[in-house]
Amino acid sequence: CGEDFLNVNSRERVAAVDQEEIYRPDEFVIGVYGNFTEWEYAFSWLGVTEIISDNADKGSSPSDTGTDKHLLDNLQFSSTAPSIQAMWTIWYKTIGRATNAIEYTESFGLSDEAYKNRLIGEARFLRALSYFYLVRYFGDVPLQQEDLTQRVPEEEVYEFIISDLESAIASLPLKSEYPTDELGRATRGAAQALLSKVYLERENWSEAVNYADQVINSGEYGLEPNYEEIWREHSENGIESIFEIQARGESTAHGVQQYSQTQGARGPSGWGWGFNTPTQDLVEAYDSEGDEIRKNATIIFAGETLWDGREVSENVENPRYNEKAYSSANAGAADSDKNIRVLRYAEVLLIKAEAANELGNTGAALDALNQVRERVELDPVTTSDQAQLRRAIWKERRLELAFEHDRWFDLLRTGQAGEVMRAHGKDFVDGKHELFPIPEEQLRQTPEMRQNPGY
Amino acid sequence: QQHTVQGTVNDQNGEPLPGVNITVKGTTRGTSTNSEGMYELTVPSASDTLVFSFIGFETQEIPIDGRNMIDVNLTPATLAGEEVVVVGYGTQQQEDLTGSISRIETEEITRQSSLTAMESLQGKITGVNVINNDAPGGTPTVILRGLGTALGGRNPLYIVDGVPVDDINNISPSDIESIDFLKDASAASIYGLRAANGVIIVTTKDGEGGAPQFEVSSSAGYTSVLNSVEMADQQEYITYFNEENAAIGGFQLAPSQQYNTDWYDELLETGYVIDSRASVSGGSENVNYFVSYNVNQEKGLLDEQTFWRQTLRNNNKYWLFNDVVEIDQNLSISVSRENPQPFSAFNTAYRQSPLVPTFYPNGRYGQPFVNETTGKMGYEGGEGEAIGRLNTHGNPLTAIAFNNQERNTVTLQGALSAKINFTDYLTFTSRLGGTKYYSDSRTFNPLKQGWIASDPTRTATQYETSKAENPGVTDWADNSLFVQNLERFRWNWDNFITFDKSFDRHNTELTLGMSSERIGVGSTFSGTAYDVPQQEQYWNLNLGSDDYEKQVNHTNFTPSTLASYFGRIQYNYDQRYYITGTLRRDGTSQFANTEDYWEFFPSVGLGWTLSNEDFMSDNEFIDFLKLRGSWGRLGNQNVPLNTTVIYTSTGSSSQNYVFGPAQTLRFGASVGSPARDISWEIVEEWNAGVDMEILDSRLSTSLDFYQKTTENVILLVNPLPDSPYAESFYDHGGEVVNQGVEVGLDWSNSISEELSYNVGVNFSYNQNEVTNVAAGYEGLTGGGLGNGQITKRLEEGQPLGAWWMYEAEGVWQTQEQIDNNPSLGGAMPGHLRYRDLNEDGVIDERDKRFFGSYVPNYNYGINIGLNYRQFDFSMDGFGVGGNKVYNGLNNTRFGGENTTRDMFEKRWTGEGSTNTHPGANRDARASSYYLEDGAYFRINNITLGYSLPEIIDRVSRVRFYVSAENPVLLTGYSGFTPELIGSDNGNPYGTAGIELSAYPNTRTLLFGINIDLK
Repeated sequence: CGEDFLNVNSRERVAAVDQEEIYRPDEFVIGVYGNFTEWEYAFSWLGVTEIISDNADKGSSPSDTGTDKHLLDNLQFSSTAPSIQAMWTIWYKTIGRATNAIEYTESFGLSDEAYKNRLIGEARFLRALSYFYLVRYFGDVPLQQEDLTQRVPEEEVYEFIISDLESAIASLPLKSEYPTDELGRATRGAAQALLSKVYLERENWSEAVNYADQVINSGEYGLEPNYEEIWREHSENGIESIFEIQARGESTAHGVQQYSQTQGARGPSGWGWGFNTPTQDLVEAYDSEGDEIRKNATIIFAGETLWDGREVSENVENPRYNEKAYSSANAGAADSDKNIRVLRYAEVLLIKAEAANELGNTGAALDALNQVRERVELDPVTTSDQAQLRRAIWKERRLELAFEHDRWFDLLRTGQAGEVMRAHGKDFVDGKHELFPIPEEQLRQTPEMRQNPGY
Repeated sequence: QQHTVQGTVNDQNGEPLPGVNITVKGTTRGTSTNSEGMYELTVPSASDTLVFSFIGFETQEIPIDGRNMIDVNLTPATLAGEEVVVVGYGTQQQEDLTGSISRIETEEITRQSSLTAMESLQGKITGVNVINNDAPGGTPTVILRGLGTALGGRNPLYIVDGVPVDDINNISPSDIESIDFLKDASAASIYGLRAANGVIIVTTKDGEGGAPQFEVSSSAGYTSVLNSVEMADQQEYITYFNEENAAIGGFQLAPSQQYNTDWYDELLETGYVIDSRASVSGGSENVNYFVSYNVNQEKGLLDEQTFWRQTLRNNNKYWLFNDVVEIDQNLSISVSRENPQPFSAFNTAYRQSPLVPTFYPNGRYGQPFVNETTGKMGYEGGEGEAIGRLNTHGNPLTAIAFNNQERNTVTLQGALSAKINFTDYLTFTSRLGGTKYYSDSRTFNPLKQGWIASDPTRTATQYETSKAENPGVTDWADNSLFVQNLERFRWNWDNFITFDKSFDRHNTELTLGMSSERIGVGSTFSGTAYDVPQQEQYWNLNLGSDDYEKQVNHTNFTPSTLASYFGRIQYNYDQRYYITGTLRRDGTSQFANTEDYWEFFPSVGLGWTLSNEDFMSDNEFIDFLKLRGSWGRLGNQNVPLNTTVIYTSTGSSSQNYVFGPAQTLRFGASVGSPARDISWEIVEEWNAGVDMEILDSRLSTSLDFYQKTTENVILLVNPLPDSPYAESFYDHGGEVVNQGVEVGLDWSNSISEELSYNVGVNFSYNQNEVTNVAAGYEGLTGGGLGNGQITKRLEEGQPLGAWWMYEAEGVWQTQEQIDNNPSLGGAMPGHLRYRDLNEDGVIDERDKRFFGSYVPNYNYGINIGLNYRQFDFSMDGFGVGGNKVYNGLNNTRFGGENTTRDMFEKRWTGEGSTNTHPGANRDARASSYYLEDGAYFRINNITLGYSLPEIIDRVSRVRFYVSAENPVLLTGYSGFTPELIGSDNGNPYGTAGIELSAYPNTRTLLFGINIDLK
């Protein structure tokens, strides 16, 4: 008896060749976006971006540590911190989904070349975004496509990110070129803005200015007239929006899991868990600038009546909460309608300002910076001293982008982290805390992989 | 007319032998030789035949032929050497073996009463580790020469009368003539593709020939817990609870309470075992027959926990055409019915407080409700008083009372084989075998009663209100009925020719054949209905209420097929130099994915019988001495099926996303896990052995060394955090090496005609190690305790299923100590203190270490038999060591549970009280504190029998016996049983070695009778 006898037909599972269902490439691309709605972005993400910084405290009740949020808050985390491990893992899973989507789309045989390239460009953008998070947090990291057990130098990771973004820029349409019902997909502007930010990180000032200018001159974007309205439902994917994570509150609700709930006010009249609360230090930063508009748009104070009429009791557990995470319609719902703003026009202006200042182009720097200040009714900055202007731009970034998950990156990028955090009363160890530890779960399975110094 | 015969019986050296039994063949008439070796016997006829038998000597049959004087020289039986063993597609003289095969015969199997033969064999064969399960209908786990595979088929292959089967649970032990264990690759490779975990060949009884012989036997006994654990009583519990609550800031219990329940007393009942069997065997010139019937009934330690099995067997053998054709026909029918009860009741009984009554005076089930204001137990409170619970556990009796399961099975198994003897040295055999298995089971769950019983304040009206408010919601149905039917069929067809001839001193045997097999043909049908009538007679899905949707499932299994070609040559020169070569080519449908179906499995064995050499012929001390060596390759095709998993969802999942101002939900997809091409697990094994018999063959011994390397070990791979995949998948990931030593020693002696005895001891050592784990595949974890804690991890250099946890190094005495030392979050005085292994000032996962494995490194057995006049006595002992077991019952506390008296008495009670044992307030992390030495020694069986002197002519034997099974267990382990196979059949990364809801070891006292008629 031979092969015929041994080739038994499957009965329990429908064999791949018999499956009628063939996945469209777009389904795998949607799956890449979908990974940004995971629970990690609703909780772990808060810990590693804001709670860890001088902007936010852990919040909640003293006994509720949020597993390791207290350790992040106090810079006492180790390689076993679940939040760090969770983010490392979700980024690599997103990268994996993106790579699969790219390969699937390439080999699927789509006849519409532009559509095919657009899908690939979207996946490349999302892959670059995930690698950009990884490389900033961990330094040298494995390139998933090459080897899962070896870290490659930071430089190579950036090359990979830049090549993905350049390719995305070439193939993605402008925001206005998408049909309305596709709004929210990665655009050429998003890829340009991200690349501009990558170059800022790399201190390649001219390229940063170059790509920021491409966004600014595209005519696709502008500033939302009222700062506090940037986080309202009506301004989602609006004039200022370059890239945001999409969410819906109506059934079937599908938000960034419990993003609004984890940060909602806790206790009487509250609607959430009360994590990631603005620090007194942040309040003082607004006050010293006389920045009432952004302070009130960013922070919910205990006892305050919110813009939609909701009264927050004096007796909530924490004195302040993150207003940018507040969803009026779905406050404490598991899935809220809150879109998370990842890149917006004001940040591009600030990137332009910072890079231009480094290039000595004070005029352009001041122009961009003051567009941002003007909206929130602050006096224009006029200094022409490069160092003073640099400081002013850095401060502006903090006030403008607080609770938009960029503070820790800024502190590290600008080299202020040690100085700021120690002044904030946290034991920042130079030479250690600039990078996160490679998660223990990873090292356990790939023992030959190096750990970052100090962990 | 009467005829008298007399004579002398001598041994091979001419010395007279006293105590030799002489019987007239076919009768019970007989005598024995006196101290000078002389005998005299009156026989009915001068044409009768005399049978001379004596322990340690070959039995001789001598026709009287009219003589009055017959002198006999008996030759010693070479205890092992002369036996015939089954080697797969044939038999062989044991002395001609080059491989490692152990044989067990019917007396050893049936000496103790058991449901399946493997149970009785614990501690009797070197290299075979049997882990028993004392639950009714429970079957033991058998491991030959160490665990080689982590997943899929870990079990040895069973061959019953030439038919491959999964287990031998459908066979009555008394129907078994012999069991041969093919341990090394040289022996097992004839079954190549499934031999990786060893092969166990079972041969059932054949007719004896001649006049019908009847055997009837029956035994009955009582079963109780062997090793019970003392729990804290009322006052101890109150103290413990109050200390715990004082530490964490909870209410205090009042010192005087109404109830003092011993839950094990309430839960456990005396079980029983009743076993009866009858057989008849006989034959004529052309036919031999054997018919047997066995019924076995067991009741376990829990209420209505029963198992019942009947087996009927008929084995016939026919000789046709002047013995040119031999037909063998075996057929067995086995019917069983089982009413299992959840073992979780043992777990709950361990944890529930003695303050909880079994029932409240009003008849409601007791529950751990307590008035937190007064500290008194009860579910009622005055105004402003808070009613809470002591713990989250229920009443152990409800789990039993509301469980209603039944499973019926029917197994039909048979084989028909025809052997054609072309010449006396060339034969052809064709064999067709098959097994059909049916099972139907049902589970009735009285949801409403269960809901009401779990809280004495609940009423039927409340339930009915909820039911009315939630139409169609099955959670509020009165009851549910689940039924499942399953049928399976497998067949095999083997054809082989055997050439067996000697040319001068060249002895040659050649076997060539092919085999094909189809397994797992069948289907399962199951369904669930709600609100069927209460009475059992109406438990049909059709009578379920139409208010609830019925669920129906039906699956046809994907069968697998196997095809094989095999050849074996066995050659020896003058019974001195031996060589055996085997080659098997196997194909399996399992690897349809890759279409890489086939693999070769070769083996070779060499032997040298020194005792047959001229230079040894003068040696009087050594009767038999042989050196053996072998090498071979074996395969395991029972591997998990891999499929690419693609996730999609129509809800809020991370495959989906929304776009556009309307925020329409768009459905996407993602790859969960890849399908890796999986192929054979391959075992390479070396074996070296010595067999020796000395002191007139009274002492026989064998010694084996082996090294067994399993390559391509299939692992359930945890995807790396930086890999693209989210889900675990199967892949070849490493190598497992088992190496060990096996020694067996048997001594038998006859001191006089009235007293003979034998002693056997055996020892097996096996070292297991995972080697060469593929990059990125380390870190598979397992051994979950059900509370989020894990206890096992895979790592190169450790055994399979190695323990991995924190090392306890004391008890926190003061808060100050905690503040000034590395500690886990939430540490309090009285908690265990864990070692900062990497000395980085933080206690985290990196401080966990390996602590060996639950699989014993060594096991040993002692078997003693003694015959004195009409009495026979036997005792079997078994022990293991070098392993660790985990007391998960003691460890996994959620608060407010009961504890053992031992833990109560030695607990930490404040600074300086103890630095070893935790206080009443302790954490539930997995740590070495709860990992205990798993060594134990158990007397498995003591039997004392008495055979009546011959009274009636037609009754050849009447024997009464009393037997104690598991009378003694010596162990330092603090739980119920150190023999813990876990919930998923010994999966090394499952709960094997962890006591959580294990069935306790039981002891049984049995009385029995054997009657043989002719």
